[in-house]
Amino acid sequence: MKNRLRVLRAEREWSQADLAQRLEVSRQSVNAIETGKFDPSLPLAFKLARLFETTIEAIFMDEGQGPS
Amino acid sequence: MFCSIKSPALRRYLIRVSIMTALCFLISVVAALVFQFFLPHDPHGALAYLAAVLPALPVIGALVYTGVYLAEEKDEFQRYLLVQSLLGGTGGILAVLTAWGNMEDIANAPHLDLIYVYPLFWVFAGISYHLVKTRYR
Repeated sequence: MKNRLRVLRAEREWSQADLAQRLEVSRQSVNAIETGKFDPSLPLAFKLARLFETTIEAIFMDEGQGPS
Repeated sequence: MFCSIKSPALRRYLIRVSIMTALCFLISVVAALVFQFFLPHDPHGALAYLAAVLPALPVIGALVYTGVYLAEEKDEFQRYLLVQSLLGGTGGILAVLTAWGNMEDIANAPHLDLIYVYPLFWVFAGISYHLVKTRYR
């Protein structure tokens, strides 16, 4: 699933490892989500949204509807 | 030794498996000595069944620990990778055993002892893990 994780991360000058540490997951997990190869579960998507102080829809794009 | 591993669940899994491996080694040495010096060299009946079943116990233990690790691992991507690997291992060993069984029946291939099934399962799971992981690089 396409997402804005890389942009949001860059805005905060976080590396993938920084984000992984904050989410309590591995760096490979962040990379897989960021590149759209792995879709996170709803709890992890909410955790991302809380961390970036935004909504899930603002991070992940519903490919059926295009970016919100 | 395990301090560099970031996942607490993986660290616990490796510690459990290491302790179990050491215990199995110790128990197998003691069992070998008992069989060598105190029991008949050609066990039969219940004793033979017991001797045959004993090596399966650490296999069951290792599989249970793998299940516990899957339940404890909070990183869903790592869980996904492991589940895919275990499916690959299961598929690989089923395919090989089916083919080998047919080769034994039809082409008189040498007999494959079932004791090799478990290590072969992990060989296939390991190969599968690396194949799955390359998809996410």
